Amino acid sequence: MRRNVLLRLFLAAAVLCILLPAAVLVLWSAAARWSWPSLLPERWSARTVRELLFGSQDLWRLLGSSMSLGSGAAGLSTLIGLLTARAVSLYDFPGKGLVRFAGLLPLLIPGTVFATGIHLVLLRLGLADTAAGVLLVHVMTALPYSIAILTDVTAALGGALEEQAAVLGAGPVRAFFAVSLPELMPGVLSSLSMAFILSYSQYFTTLIVGGGRVKTLALVMVPYIQGGDRSLASVYALAFTGSALLVSALFEALIRHWQKRGDRL
Amino acid sequence: MKKLAALLLALLMALSLTACSGKDEQAEKLDLSAASWDQIVDAAKGTTVTFYGWGGDEDRNNWLANVGAPYMKEHYGITLEVVGMNIDEILAKLAGEKEAGAAAGSIDMIWINGENFYSAKENGLLYGAFLDKLPNTEAYIDTQDPETLNDFCMPIEGYEAPYGRAQLVLFNDSAVTPEAPSSAQELLSYCRQYPGKVTYPALPDFTGSAFVRNIIYELCGWEQFQTMEADYETVKEAIAPALDYLRSLNPYLWNEGRTFPDSSTTVDAMFTDGELVLAMSYSPYGVAVGIENGVYTPTTRTFLFENGTIGNTNYMSIAFNSPNPAGALVVINAMISAGLQLSQYEKLRNLPVVSPEKLSAGEKAAFEAVDMGEGILTQEELLTHRLPEMPAKLVPVIEEIWLNEVVGK
Repeated sequence: MRRNVLLRLFLAAAVLCILLPAAVLVLWSAAARWSWPSLLPERWSARTVRELLFGSQDLWRLLGSSMSLGSGAAGLSTLIGLLTARAVSLYDFPGKGLVRFAGLLPLLIPGTVFATGIHLVLLRLGLADTAAGVLLVHVMTALPYSIAILTDVTAALGGALEEQAAVLGAGPVRAFFAVSLPELMPGVLSSLSMAFILSYSQYFTTLIVGGGRVKTLALVMVPYIQGGDRSLASVYALAFTGSALLVSALFEALIRHWQKRGDRL
Repeated sequence: MKKLAALLLALLMALSLTACSGKDEQAEKLDLSAASWDQIVDAAKGTTVTFYGWGGDEDRNNWLANVGAPYMKEHYGITLEVVGMNIDEILAKLAGEKEAGAAAGSIDMIWINGENFYSAKENGLLYGAFLDKLPNTEAYIDTQDPETLNDFCMPIEGYEAPYGRAQLVLFNDSAVTPEAPSSAQELLSYCRQYPGKVTYPALPDFTGSAFVRNIIYELCGWEQFQTMEADYETVKEAIAPALDYLRSLNPYLWNEGRTFPDSSTTVDAMFTDGELVLAMSYSPYGVAVGIENGVYTPTTRTFLFENGTIGNTNYMSIAFNSPNPAGALVVINAMISAGLQLSQYEKLRNLPVVSPEKLSAGEKAAFEAVDMGEGILTQEELLTHRLPEMPAKLVPVIEEIWLNEVVGK
C-alpha cells in the first residue's frame, strides 16, 4: 500500500515534469506579451497560429515531407538493423567485431563533420540537394541506434526457437516470420520510433545535404527558434512534438494490429 | 512492412524528381556580358530562381511569399524559390561545391553583407560584377553613395546590389525610464541610475558588436578606422579610451558585466520580460512592428546617439556557380525598383535603398504617405545620424580585444 502511494507520487511528479513545460508552450504560443511578474500573459494574440497554418510556409507540405522522410528512414534503418543484428548475434564469421564496430561509427563522428564530409561524397554522386540523398543520410544517422536496439533483443531471443520450428518442418523464412519476428516486435517498435524521431529532428544534415531544397518541418522551425520570437517558436515546437507523437502512436497501432493478426494464425 | 517501405521509397523518388525539375528549365547559355537587357529578360522567362538567405524573419518570409514571388511570376514569368539558410551554411555549401568542382550549383541569389561578403569575394564564391548591367541601378540607385561603393570598406565593384538598409538604434519604455541617453556619457549615468538593468549582447553577436563599435566611434571618432590596419596592438591602442569606458560601465551592468547575454534576441527577450530597461536593434523601425504585434508596450520609443549610430546596407549577390544568372539579374533588378522598395518600406518597415533624388514626384509622395507606426524616428533623423561601418577586417580584431580587455574587468 505504501509503495503504491510512493509510486503514484513519483508518477504524478513525472507527468508534471512533462506537462508543465508543454503547458507553458501552449501559453506562449498564444501570448503577445508575457513579462515578469505576471502569472499569465498580459496580451493574447492568434498571430502565431495564423502564421503556422496560413503563413509563408506550407505546413501540410512540410509535414508530408518530414513524415515520409521519417517513415522511410525508420523502415530502412530497422530493416538493415534487423539483418545486421541477426548476422552478428546468430552467426559466426570473420570480421564480426569489425561489422559491429562499423555499425556504431556514425555515432562517434561529430554531426557537423559528418554532414560536410558526406555532402562532398553526395555531390560527386549527384545525390546532393535531393530527397534520396537526405533519406540516405538520415538512415545513416539512425542506423547505430537501430542496430544497438535490435542486436540486444535478437541476442536475448537467440536462435533456438527457429531451430525448433525447423525441426517441425518450417522453412527459414516461415520460421523467422512466424516465430522470431512476433517476439522481436517490441524491439522493432523501439527501433522504428527511435529512427523516426532522429530523422524527424535532423536539422544540420538535412540543411547541408538537402541544400535547403528538401524542406522539412525542422528546417523551417530552427531559424524561427534562433530568431528569438518565443511565440512563433512555441507554436512550431507544439506542431513538431504533436506530429511526432502522432506518428509514434500510429507505429504502435500498426504493430498491435499486426500482432493480433499474427495471433490468429 | 516491406510494402510500406517500398511505397515510401517511391514517394520519395517522386519528391526528388520534382525537386530537380527546376534545373531543366534553366535559361539556355547566354553570354551575359554581351547580351542586351531585353535578351536577358527573354532568357529568364519561365525559369526558376533560388534565393538563399536567413529564414528567421517571419515578416520577410511572408513578404517574399506574398509580394516578391508573385511579382516576379506576373511581370517576368519567373518562379522565385526562397530558401531559408544561415549565411555561414550558405558559404560552407558554396565552398563544398567549389571543392567538388560542381559546375552548376543550386544557389542563384544570396542575401549577404559585411564580413561574409568579404570572405565570399576573396574566396571566389561570387559570380562577378553585375550591378552596371541592371537598368534600375541607373534609374534608382545613387551610384556614388559610399554604401553602393563599399560594404564594410570592402570595394563592392558591382558584385552585389543593395537590398535594404539597417541602422543601430536604442530603445526603452518611457513609462519605465523617462530618460533616453543620447551619448556615451549619458548612457553611463543611465546605467548608474538603473544598476543591473542594462547590458548588451556578447560579441561577436551582430548587434552587440555594432554597439561596441558605436561606443568606439563616440570616444575615438570614426575617421581613423577607415584605413586602419587589422593589427591587434594598433587597434587596441586606438580604442583605449573606449575600452576604459566599457570597463567603467561594467559594475553597473546586468550581472556586473561578468557575463553578457549570448545574443541580441536574448537581450530583446530580457527587455520585454522587464529584466532589462534598455535594448538595441539593427532594425530602426522594429519598435513600431513590436508595438503593433503587442510585444512592446505602446510607450516604447526609439532613440539614438547625438553623434550618430552605425548604419550598414545588406545586399543581394549571385553565386559563382548559379545555374540561372540571367534570372537572378532580372529578380535583383526588380528588387531595387521603386515599387518593390516601397512595398518593403510599407510592409517590412525596411529603410529603402533607392535614392530620394532619383524618385519621381509621385513615387516620393507614395513613400511619404506610408504610416510607419509608433515609437520610431523619422527616416531623415536616422539618415542624418548615420555613420559608416568599419573595415570588415577590423571587426573580428575588436571582438577579440573586447573579450580579453572588457568582460569581467
